[in-house]
Amino acid sequence: MKKMLILLLVLFTMPATAGLKPYEGEGPTPPLTLTDIQGTMHDLAAYQGKVVLVQFWATYCAPCRKEMPSMNRLIEKMGNTPFVILAVNMGETQEEVEAFVEEVGPEFPILMDPDGESIGAWQVFAAPSNFVVGADGKIHYTLFGGVEWDDDELVAQLKELANE
Amino acid sequence: MRLIKSLQQILLILLVFVPAGAIAGAEVLTLEIDGDAEIDIRIFRAEGDTLLLGFACDEGQGIAEQSTAESLAEDGVEVWMPDMLGGYMLPKTRSSIQSIPSEGLYGVMDKAMQSGKKVYLIASGPETELVLRVASEWEARHDGAAGLAGVVLLFPRLNDGKPEPGKEPVYVEAVGKTREVPLLVLEGERTPNRWGVKHLTAALAQGGSHVHAKLIPDVRGYFFKREDANMPEEVVTTQLAGLIKASLFFLGRTDR
Repeated sequence: MKKMLILLLVLFTMPATAGLKPYEGEGPTPPLTLTDIQGTMHDLAAYQGKVVLVQFWATYCAPCRKEMPSMNRLIEKMGNTPFVILAVNMGETQEEVEAFVEEVGPEFPILMDPDGESIGAWQVFAAPSNFVVGADGKIHYTLFGGVEWDDDELVAQLKELANE
Repeated sequence: MRLIKSLQQILLILLVFVPAGAIAGAEVLTLEIDGDAEIDIRIFRAEGDTLLLGFACDEGQGIAEQSTAESLAEDGVEVWMPDMLGGYMLPKTRSSIQSIPSEGLYGVMDKAMQSGKKVYLIASGPETELVLRVASEWEARHDGAAGLAGVVLLFPRLNDGKPEPGKEPVYVEAVGKTREVPLLVLEGERTPNRWGVKHLTAALAQGGSHVHAKLIPDVRGYFFKREDANMPEEVVTTQLAGLIKASLFFLGRTDR
């Protein structure tokens, strides 16, 4: 009984981690060509050979705000592994996103999609929606909802994909 | 000093002994459903020919719900707010919503219909499943909308499970079952769900209902229930009764 209670206590006090889910969508990886907040153009196809975390987010999405610092730490933990994050903002204005960037300080490109064109192409219906694109340019994993991206399990999964 | 103390005592007595309904200017009707449940319905009476039945499931105890109901009643729209969860002794959790029997929903709606007024249904968030469920049940039993004038879905959250990036959403069973009654989806512009409105609208229309969708500028989901509401959200909350009234007017003019 005591062991059971300890087990339950451990389970309920553990930080919530959600693993990456194998991608179940169909068809090729949708194109993603957008400018970032500084005006630099990014084309997902140009990142072939690297693992890319494509995240769709918004400043008003509470889990998105919460998890972003952990994405900075993820980059640090990935070390020399060929890995980039492209965070696509969902249809907000430059001013709104700039204010957020100043406050949170993401160390990865924030892409602007004012008309939401990529959102439809990538079949995004809620945020944060994440896609992990392998070095082969194909989507391998997805993840919905906020997580601590520097969680060891997630880092290991991403590193393993980079080594495939 | 003595005067302040006396005032405090009077206030305390009022808070303890005066029923909430009396303060709210609402009456409570208790409806028995087949011996299974006793559902309290808070009613904000009005003289007009329109009745708004809100399946808030907690008698509209949320922030701004009561003031909105009072404001609507002043404008001639009678508002009914049943306590479905309390009636079936269900806990106030999201998972309880699907446990509310259709028979209970139908019973409340049938009682509202007996008023002879044009009845509209409204709910927000996951509770929108209930109004769709009871609307389709009503249509099935009456071979059509039969007095049901329209349904307002505020920030509908109708996904069956979590959305999966890259895959089309899967909705709860009640979506796409209504045949005649017009539906209006209202979604906050500053919510990630706004990107799913087009897909949801198409799914809702599959049964035959005319479905309209409007984005409310500058607000997040559940803005009228938020304790951290920002300025635009507070402004829209104060005008929520007007927004609902405009929605009912719009639905009333929709072709079937």
